[in-house]
Amino acid sequence: MTTVGLISIGVLQALILLLAAPLFSGFARVMRAKMHSRKGPPIRQNYLDIIKLMKRQEVISEQASWVFRATPYISMAAMLLVALLVPFLAVVSPLGAAGDLILVVYLFALPRVFFSLAGLDSGSTFGGIGGRRELLVAALIEPILLLVVFVLALLAGSTNLGTISSKVATGELPYTLAFWLSLAAFAFTTFVEMGKLPFDLGEAEQELQEGPLTEYSGRSLAIAKWSIYLKQLVLVALFLGLFLPFGSMTTLSPLGALVSVLAFFVKAILFYFVVAVLENAMARMRFMKVPAATWLALGAAVLSFVFYLANI
Amino acid sequence: MGAIQLLLLSILLFLASALIALFWSISGRAARLLVGLLGLVASLVGVAAAGLALTAGVTPALYMFQIEPFGWLKLEMDGLSALLVGLITLVGVGTSLYSISTAQCQRMVGFFTPLFMAAMLVVVTVSNGFFFLVFWELMTLVSYFLVIWESGKEESARTGYLYMLVAHAGAALLMVAFLVLFQKADSFDFRLWRQTYLSPGLKNLVFLLVFVGFGAKAGMVPLHFWTPGTYRAAPDHVSALMAGVMKKTAIYGILRVCVDLLGVTSWWWGFTILAFGVLSAVLGAFYALAERDIKRLLAYSSVENVGIILMGVGVGMLGIAVQQPVLAVLGFLAALYHMLNHAFFKGLLFMGAGWAINQSGTADLNRMGGLARRMPWTAFAFLVGALAVSAIPPLNGFVSEWFTYQAFFTASNTSAFVTRVFSPVCAVLLAFAGAFAVMVYIKAYGGAFTGPARSRAAASAQEAPGMMQVSMLYMVLGCLVLGIGAPLVAPWIAGAAASFARLPPVVVSNGWQVFPAETAQAVLSPPLVLLLLAGLLVVPLALGALYAGSRVKTRSGVPPWTCGYGYDKSMSVSASSFDQPVKVSFHPLYWVRTLVDRPFRAITDFGHSALGVILRAEPVVETVVTRPTARLVETAGQWIQALQMGDIRVYCLYIILTLAILLLVIFGGSGL
Repeated sequence: MTTVGLISIGVLQALILLLAAPLFSGFARVMRAKMHSRKGPPIRQNYLDIIKLMKRQEVISEQASWVFRATPYISMAAMLLVALLVPFLAVVSPLGAAGDLILVVYLFALPRVFFSLAGLDSGSTFGGIGGRRELLVAALIEPILLLVVFVLALLAGSTNLGTISSKVATGELPYTLAFWLSLAAFAFTTFVEMGKLPFDLGEAEQELQEGPLTEYSGRSLAIAKWSIYLKQLVLVALFLGLFLPFGSMTTLSPLGALVSVLAFFVKAILFYFVVAVLENAMARMRFMKVPAATWLALGAAVLSFVFYLANI
Repeated sequence: MGAIQLLLLSILLFLASALIALFWSISGRAARLLVGLLGLVASLVGVAAAGLALTAGVTPALYMFQIEPFGWLKLEMDGLSALLVGLITLVGVGTSLYSISTAQCQRMVGFFTPLFMAAMLVVVTVSNGFFFLVFWELMTLVSYFLVIWESGKEESARTGYLYMLVAHAGAALLMVAFLVLFQKADSFDFRLWRQTYLSPGLKNLVFLLVFVGFGAKAGMVPLHFWTPGTYRAAPDHVSALMAGVMKKTAIYGILRVCVDLLGVTSWWWGFTILAFGVLSAVLGAFYALAERDIKRLLAYSSVENVGIILMGVGVGMLGIAVQQPVLAVLGFLAALYHMLNHAFFKGLLFMGAGWAINQSGTADLNRMGGLARRMPWTAFAFLVGALAVSAIPPLNGFVSEWFTYQAFFTASNTSAFVTRVFSPVCAVLLAFAGAFAVMVYIKAYGGAFTGPARSRAAASAQEAPGMMQVSMLYMVLGCLVLGIGAPLVAPWIAGAAASFARLPPVVVSNGWQVFPAETAQAVLSPPLVLLLLAGLLVVPLALGALYAGSRVKTRSGVPPWTCGYGYDKSMSVSASSFDQPVKVSFHPLYWVRTLVDRPFRAITDFGHSALGVILRAEPVVETVVTRPTARLVETAGQWIQALQMGDIRVYCLYIILTLAILLLVIFGGSGL
């Protein structure tokens, strides 16, 4: 694909993810309400919330330094960068020249690090506790994620996002047991990283008042919330782009773009639907019990590695 | 002037700076400035030497003098040595600047620090086994004096003793190894050692001796226990040098002896190093997380980073053993790159932590707090260092870890089943250690620089003096350049890695990108990542500017929300409560520490009791010979004293009696 083509796909990807992120989270809210037999908010509620917050006055803690103020912006910029890297509209990474899957894994650490720092920086109890919980979950999930990434990259022979995506799409990467297990493990880590129950530890609404977000208000809160919605959708896009790139463009064309956008929306809605069902069917878990739950994902990841070694 | 002459000039300038510090009569600012500036010049000359050697390729050796039977003291700079010289002096620039404005740089510190630098420079360039050991010991000795610089502190003395014990135990092993080589080659010259044939058994023996000997100095687990106390006790810029630079001379030693001189022959060598690397990385990160003392925390984090470096070294040696030169170069590239990066960010972190300790009067993270508002520059510098060591893209720590991952990936694709199994496992453990490193540094930055001030001293802290800020900004710049400038830096390091291991060169960069030999495997462009991150910041800023007109002005200075109660500073999360969930979740790993520590505690205890024996053995001569003689003289004196009565008449009597006895003897003898 030409450079112009790649750039246009990249811009399209970033725009779609940025603008649709509140919509998908709104869908998750509606789903939750329905499963609770409530009427629930309208699906566009998140957009209204963001607009409302944008207009509100911002109040900043006396303890806060520039880290606290900059965090929402840095978080959103990092997620937009990942949105440019992920191959979900086409089977190439629009920004493949900048980095690979390992870069993406580490870019997800950027918002986490800054939100944890911001939580501590605000001097708030909830912020600090939320920050440390978020990091514990990361420490449990990141090794699993990396193992899955390695298995997938070994199957594809490269850590380039585009290469993996196109090899999965064309079937050049055999759909072996190893592939399906790594898909399962990756889906699990996506679920955890999205901060869904029972893993909504850092931003737990009920017990921690949304953790690191506690002290944010007004415009900053709007950007922070938006960047979290964006992170969730980017995670889903990464999963779909790597493991289920069906419907993605292989050559650039307006029609192909339309088809791939539609295919992405269908796949993403399905993923959010499954996530919502799982989340709302589960009870809250005690925080210290969570490490045990991640063994499931580790087991799947290790098995997929074993199967890769055994060539099954 | 050639590269090696420049190096000699740099060493001489360091020596001059040491002498000035020793003999300058006015202590204080002027002397510090002169010594610091001279150190700066010496470092810059050293940087020039390294740059010249790297660009010029092979430089002729400099023969200094000869002592029979040990041979010539000669300095040589191949790619690896040049890289190490560059590392030492580049960090030296920062520490020299820092030393100008720290009160810790008194006469003794000012004297020993340049000597320390000079000794390290010789260690990494000398190409004679005997003189290597001499300067290795000198380096240890000088750094020992720097550890015990605070006179009258029992803690420092004890720490220094432990450091000395471990360093010498390691050096003793090196001596045995070098004597074996000497005995076979009949020379101490590295050039002859390369050509000498050793039987496999002997080679394995030398490898083990050298690995453990250097490993002790590098502070790998389980020989790491001396590091926290040592770095804690040393002056700040010396801690920066010890953690950032001195450890690297040990890695240099492993590379020089095992790869260059012995030539890797068995695959288990690389494997052993890899295994210890993984162990150090994971346990180092864990122990760092459990620390409350900021300098000890940084020391344990150095253990982790040495682990990461050893992982690269191990992969590189595996690559040689399985005859995959590309893999070998990638492994060494990752190791050397991380070595350079660690020198910069760890140096920076020790400097920042040093000023934070200076101002809050304590190294306890629970009693600092809120320093970011009182020393914004120091906090910024520390944060950049913390992000770099946490491998946040596009800073330098990420680039070298990326190369480590890529080396593991390449290793996973080899035909050998063992490497195919263990490389991904090691990569996962690296990610595990990395995730904990992130937590460690958020704890360190969070505890020291954010939240409310938790002590009176911390509440009245001041920003660092100008020169200190300059030195920290220099290190920040280093972290940025090594990260974003990866496409420029990586080829030099890869070239040095290939040349010292005598492997074909590997292309690792093109234009703005770096890649692990093949672009098909992966590419990374740190400058592009930075540009895009900065560029994409425009989007949230523009979104934030929406409705700016209808918004009420931001209100700041409000106490944090505490559910309607009054805010108290004890409500914020302190450093030790920060890592509590991890300690609970992963307590088995802390149990491992007690297990691992036990035999080494036994060793140090043995050291202590041995010292006791020596103390008892030492006075044997005194009790048996000296003291009885002294007692005899004393009693004789008392006897004689009895004769003295102070009466003039008695003295007259003595004189007469003496005369009478003398007359009797003389004349009585003649038969009168």
